[in-house]
Amino acid sequence: MLRKTDRHFKFDWITIILFFLLVGFGWLNILSASHTGETLDYFNFQDPYSKQLIFIMLSVVLIIITLSIDAKFYERFSSIIYMVALLSLVGVFIFGKTINGATSWYNLGVMTFQPSEFAKAATALAVAKYISDLNTDLKYFKDQLKVFIIIAIPAILILLQNDTGSTLVYAAFFFVLYREGLPTIYLISALLVIIIAILTLKFGIIITTITAVVSVLAYHFTRRKKPSIIQTTLIILAAILFSFAIRYAYNTIIPAHQKDRISIWLRLEKDPSELRKMRQTVAYNLNESEKAISSGGFSGKGFLEGTRTTGKFVPEQHTDYIFTTVGEEWGFIGTFGVVLIFVLLIIRILHLSELQKSQFSRAYGYAVASIFFIHFMINIGMVMGLIPTIGIPLPLFSYGGSGLWGFTILLFIFIKLDSNKINEW
Amino acid sequence: MAVNEKNILNRLYFIAGCMFIFGLAVVFKLLTIQFVVGDEYRALAEKRTVKDVVIPANRGNVYSVKGNLLATSIPKYDIRIDAITPSTKTFQKFLKPLSDSLAAYSGKSSSYYQKEIKKARANKNRYYLLARDIGYSDYIRLRDFPMLNLGAYKGGLIVEQTTKREHPMGGISMRTIGYEREDDDGNITRAGIDGAFGELYLRGVDGHRLKQNIGKGQWKPIVDYNQVEPKDGYDVYTTIDVNVQDIAHHALLEQLELYDAEHGCVVVMEVKTGEIRAISNLAKSPSGTYYEKRNYAVWESHEPGSTFKLATYMAALEDKVVDTSTVIDTGNGVKTFYGKRVRDSRHGGYGKISVGRAFEVSSNIAIASILDDAYAKNPMKFINRLKQWGLNTKLDVSIIGEGDPVIYEPGDKDWSRNALPSMAYGYNLRLTPLQMLTFYNAVANDGEMVKPRFIKQVKELDKEIKVFEKEVRREKICSDATLGAVQAMLKNTVEKGTGRKLYSKYFSMAGKTGTAQTEYWMKGWKENPRYVSSFAGYFPAENPKYSCIVVIHKPSTKKGYYGADVSGPVFKKIARKIFTDTPIIDEIESLEVNNASVEEEFQDYYKIANTYKTIMPNVVGLPAMDAIALCENLGLKVKIEGVGVVTSQSIPKGQKVKKNQTIVLAV
Repeated sequence: MLRKTDRHFKFDWITIILFFLLVGFGWLNILSASHTGETLDYFNFQDPYSKQLIFIMLSVVLIIITLSIDAKFYERFSSIIYMVALLSLVGVFIFGKTINGATSWYNLGVMTFQPSEFAKAATALAVAKYISDLNTDLKYFKDQLKVFIIIAIPAILILLQNDTGSTLVYAAFFFVLYREGLPTIYLISALLVIIIAILTLKFGIIITTITAVVSVLAYHFTRRKKPSIIQTTLIILAAILFSFAIRYAYNTIIPAHQKDRISIWLRLEKDPSELRKMRQTVAYNLNESEKAISSGGFSGKGFLEGTRTTGKFVPEQHTDYIFTTVGEEWGFIGTFGVVLIFVLLIIRILHLSELQKSQFSRAYGYAVASIFFIHFMINIGMVMGLIPTIGIPLPLFSYGGSGLWGFTILLFIFIKLDSNKINEW
Repeated sequence: MAVNEKNILNRLYFIAGCMFIFGLAVVFKLLTIQFVVGDEYRALAEKRTVKDVVIPANRGNVYSVKGNLLATSIPKYDIRIDAITPSTKTFQKFLKPLSDSLAAYSGKSSSYYQKEIKKARANKNRYYLLARDIGYSDYIRLRDFPMLNLGAYKGGLIVEQTTKREHPMGGISMRTIGYEREDDDGNITRAGIDGAFGELYLRGVDGHRLKQNIGKGQWKPIVDYNQVEPKDGYDVYTTIDVNVQDIAHHALLEQLELYDAEHGCVVVMEVKTGEIRAISNLAKSPSGTYYEKRNYAVWESHEPGSTFKLATYMAALEDKVVDTSTVIDTGNGVKTFYGKRVRDSRHGGYGKISVGRAFEVSSNIAIASILDDAYAKNPMKFINRLKQWGLNTKLDVSIIGEGDPVIYEPGDKDWSRNALPSMAYGYNLRLTPLQMLTFYNAVANDGEMVKPRFIKQVKELDKEIKVFEKEVRREKICSDATLGAVQAMLKNTVEKGTGRKLYSKYFSMAGKTGTAQTEYWMKGWKENPRYVSSFAGYFPAENPKYSCIVVIHKPSTKKGYYGADVSGPVFKKIARKIFTDTPIIDEIESLEVNNASVEEEFQDYYKIANTYKTIMPNVVGLPAMDAIALCENLGLKVKIEGVGVVTSQSIPKGQKVKKNQTIVLAV
């Protein structure tokens, strides 16, 4: 045991700087998107920019608390933190409040609080803890099942809260599991599922079937060691069945508004009058956000000068569509800068994770990077039409206290763990 | 740990690769949005900050010949509420009063509105409809309802003004007055006068104004004048006479209902000018009521039947093939022409009758025989007569969708030896009611064939833009001798022929009945015969003022189908009504002659009355009204006994009078 005074606390300042860059630039854009009057009042606690300023100040307090707690605490108490998170998710159904159709909020009087933002960090801790257990080997189905359950419980609870976007974030753990030894077959299956789904919706069941048969047979006959005929047949059958299931789900199970979003993304609707109608309704946001981004050009219109931002053309601009403000007011330089900062941040976290000595810290780091990545991917992708519209905030950037604090805790726990690696022998 | 070193690296690369590819995709998409399609989007964005607001021009009105409004455009309002806009406090405070007001306005219950508006708020409905197509006064009323009176930004009031075409006459003559509608895809459907003259006169030119977005959905005009001022449409004055139209509409409607007919039409035309005074087209709806469905009078080209005999007889008379006294043997009522039987409606036939009588009783055999005898070798001679009268060409009227007349001639696919005898009694050819009427009108107008007209003039306020003059199609369709003969035959038809049921000794009419089979080429006609009953003619028989045609399709055969029974009464009703409504004007000449003595005396009274205000003048001989005025000017109280001219006065002439003294005038 080293003496306490010999302990080294070396925080990764690069990550911390990137964090504050995002938060600060984010706030400027929230200010731009939400200011209404001629005068700016930073402490009226009414306008989003004013509230966000308070949230940011409080997040500094959170950072200090997170960093001062002993690193071992997170590993040791991960199960308890996880259970508390689950309870808070369940509690929403009883005491919760519904905002924008999602019942995922506690009303605390002065502000609302969204437990699902914190559940991400808790789940990341629990997954990391389970994986780092010496008895766990992800090669075995029993262990895979257990880790899936750990991830699925919060995901399902959030889905029940009618918050599809936040549920999808849990797909991020796939990267973690893969890095920690989940068999490749899962990766292939996941890819196939996505490909079949897109093929089915875009080109129909018949073309999907033909593609599946041809590619599986091609695979079958080009392999030197031929897989069994039965196996090949089963794969083809499964693909066809899945294709039918997708079509059925699309036609009957998926709610109309999500169907429309998929339809727009894959350009399924061909009827021009329907399209015109969609442009005014479901595709309105996308249209407006693309217009706002493009109107910025190379260098943007300048801070607080965006006409489409001031004109409130883009709905939800200070939350999910904050990226459009960057596009309009800061132009390509701004958007590229934001993308760059995010990529740097994620790569930095991945890099630090690989340097971890404990598997717990490494897995947790991967979880942090993946969660940031998936948020970044879905949000930016949605704003620019790369993926269907899914309402989820841009981490550290979008307006919202719970979101900011959730990500702050998520990230700074890792910074704390990372700072402690030198002590882990 | 089961994962070996190389495997781990691969997995790491894979994850990093995924993220890297996505990052590239984002940058690529950013480049496309901001540079490649940027210009297009920027133009779109510009469109959203500056917009060209169209100021619609007011559409012109359509008037009747006497200036009654037939179609006009009036503003209508849709009132909606943005259920999200009002604050919670406002919403709770005013929901009940608003619902109460709405309930009082619409008759629905207050709780209904409370529930619906609450639901709209819960569903985030920013466009909940409260009232549609309401008039200006209702709009003013609703605007002042609680919550709505807070305006758009606090109360969520949304007002949308549209212009609606209204027909103050209601459904009467709808198809002729017409409309011009544009659907969402920009397709325009047009009907009647409104449709025909929409583009040319009624529509006007829309104005334009550029507005700039100043944020939060507010638009400010860029300059304080309109870039293009709207120019209102012209008014169109039709030839329709509302009174005649009203009679025609109701007479037709009554008869259609009585005979449960499928559809029918009636047209009334002024003989001298060709102006259409009334046109009504009614068809039975699935629910059994009648409404203006199509402009049958203008559109429906059909086999006219016996009304066409006017033309065939005229041809024969003009060619001097027969004269009215020539005797024709119609036999026992059945005669075969080239293997086809022709029948007369009287069982047993008419035997030997004169040509004039044959027309009156509408013998098919007679006219078929005449034509077959005279023209079988040279049918073109007969056909050319019809062409000379323009019966094979469209009238080219101003209403859209005129039906084509069809007259076959030798060489045509449908021509056969039987064609000529069939044409004799109005089969094997097709005419629209309006085309038929034009021909009858020419007979009534002593041979001058005028084109039917629906429009008299186009005006911009009181300025005449265009006047439509009478148009003559044929100066003289035949000789006066022929005209006289057919005019007499038409008059006799009503007096003692097939139209005798219509005869009235109080006013004279001339006309011809027609009862044509229709759809006889269809299967099962014998079990379920269908007819077209018509009556065409003019009135008064001497010096005709109006011509009129009535065509009723498929009356219920159980109730009757003869032209005289089904269509004749409509004709008669119109004739009688116009006759009784037309005042007889007896002018009194030389109104200017004055009674010298009265004149002189009055001058005296006036002088005295003005000079000596207190001396009673002579008022005997003055009309009571003048006497009262005179006396009251003197300050007297007047009592009158009787009516007319003053015969004596209680205060004699020349006496001094005092104020408020009573004078009794015996009149």
